[in-house]
Amino acid sequence: MVRTATRGFLILLAVALNAWPLFDRDRPARLVVAARAQSTAAAPFFEDETLNPDSPHAMSHVASIAELFGGGLAAVWYAGSREGAGDVAIYFSVQPSDDTRWSPPRAIVTRATATRDLRRYVRKVGNPVLFSDADGRLWLIYVTVSIGGWSGSSLNVTMSDNEGRTWTRSRRLTLSPFLNLSELVKNAPAALSDGGWAVPIYHEFVATFPEVLWLHRRSGEVVATKSRMSAGWYGYQPAITPIDTARALALLRDDDPPRTVSIARSEDAGRTWSAPQRIELPNPDSGLDAIRMTDGRLLLAFNDSPGGRENLRLAMSADEGRTWSRVATLAEERGGDFSYPFLMQARSGDVHLVYTWQRTQIRHVTFNTRWLDEHSGGSLR
Amino acid sequence: MTSPIVTELCSTASPWLALVLGLQRLMTWRGFNLRGGGQLLVAGGVALAVLLIPVERVAVARWISGINANFSVSLLAALIVAVCERAFARTWFSSRDWDACWIFGAVGGLALYPLALGLSRFDPYEWGWHVSPLFAIMAVLTGWLLWKQIRFGFVLLLAAAAFQLHLLESTNYWDYLLDPIYVLVSFVVLIRRPLSARAARRVPQGTP
Repeated sequence: MVRTATRGFLILLAVALNAWPLFDRDRPARLVVAARAQSTAAAPFFEDETLNPDSPHAMSHVASIAELFGGGLAAVWYAGSREGAGDVAIYFSVQPSDDTRWSPPRAIVTRATATRDLRRYVRKVGNPVLFSDADGRLWLIYVTVSIGGWSGSSLNVTMSDNEGRTWTRSRRLTLSPFLNLSELVKNAPAALSDGGWAVPIYHEFVATFPEVLWLHRRSGEVVATKSRMSAGWYGYQPAITPIDTARALALLRDDDPPRTVSIARSEDAGRTWSAPQRIELPNPDSGLDAIRMTDGRLLLAFNDSPGGRENLRLAMSADEGRTWSRVATLAEERGGDFSYPFLMQARSGDVHLVYTWQRTQIRHVTFNTRWLDEHSGGSLR
Repeated sequence: MTSPIVTELCSTASPWLALVLGLQRLMTWRGFNLRGGGQLLVAGGVALAVLLIPVERVAVARWISGINANFSVSLLAALIVAVCERAFARTWFSSRDWDACWIFGAVGGLALYPLALGLSRFDPYEWGWHVSPLFAIMAVLTGWLLWKQIRFGFVLLLAAAAFQLHLLESTNYWDYLLDPIYVLVSFVVLIRRPLSARAARRVPQGTP
């Protein structure tokens, strides 16, 4: 059929093509830990506001917040007639550094724009996560679903170089071999020393498990890979908190009894993780978030109940997550629904938290570490 | 990074060829005796028209991309061979070429999907992004198939080249080698074959 010399050439070609990745190796990146910052306010302060007080939508959910290059804030969330409905869009609002008011929310991703950008049918849009890089660029990772429910999700990314006024064409990230199904996002990424991001993501199809999405921008293009955090036994929707440049914690949501927060640990900047260990704090199968504050303490926002989302509390750990103390209650009401917290510490040292309030509004609270210190004696607000 | 137009064309090629193959079978069944380029032209044109039909203002091709945008090079090659063999009544793949194609699909699917969907902490899908044993295994397997003059080796060579050229939306090597449709077809073919052989043996001798 084929002469020996030709066969030899083809075999060499096969070896060369498969050996090519050897020349394309990346150096492992370290985690970036924010430098210590002091709050601009000397006295304890706490502020609470609604980002979308005049929302015409019956449902608003899953907010995230980022600091703009110039010092302002930007937030995203999704809203529509109900979760998963075709009219759900991702809304964006900014608060310039010289203004205390938030801009009127503006839809930046709809089912129609996602269908156009991604060149495929999109049935619904979901969880968005917003973050900013060192160049002042805003990144938005968001969920779309073409078939089925949330377990049929895929992740997409778009960016803005002008603080959210315009966004690049969205790009689909291929992260799963089975029809690219079931990759979702909820919490903020950890920055890497090479300019990339370790984004906590999770998988929900067949089995539920947490993963890390490794995101880089090379020659203007987004490069995405992922690694497994644990197998499909328990724990998902991770929140990654770097401890130092090599060590990190991942706090996990739990969908199985006894429903507690779990923690996995990494010693190699997030590439491998320990098996998740349960801690004493409950988790009613609801989203949580945690950050390492610049003073080294860990701050966790969570629903402090094994059975519902009727409260939203803060807890702190001063020993890298081994022990936790409840610090303050941000919301509590019988029959209420206060969920999906998202934490961010600004360069000023102030902590920002956005969360879903009664599924209808997005609340934004700001406080400083002195306010946390005031509450860390154990009394609840 | 490859142009989105190229990746879109690559993701549409397999569904288009699958439709062409289906139409070829339909034409044969209905006694529509057209062969060669004429058959390809008619079946290809109809398949293209079907893929361009808008449903809720979205073309059928984009609905398919919504479900799967990364059809493997293995499936694409198998479809090209099947369509051309049927159109031109020539054998491009011998039975051992097809055997290699289906065994690779079934074994690869078994190695990939259960673990990638959470059966264990090890995720073989990660191997498709970085230097990993997957590349060594594929180099050896492709080389061996080429040495044994099994034409499926060419397909794996093309898959490696397509991966280096980033012709699919995916940047993961696995997606150039396997996809769920290809794996499913591989299993169906491999399971049906012994069943068909057993049924053939049951037919009494002398039966006309």
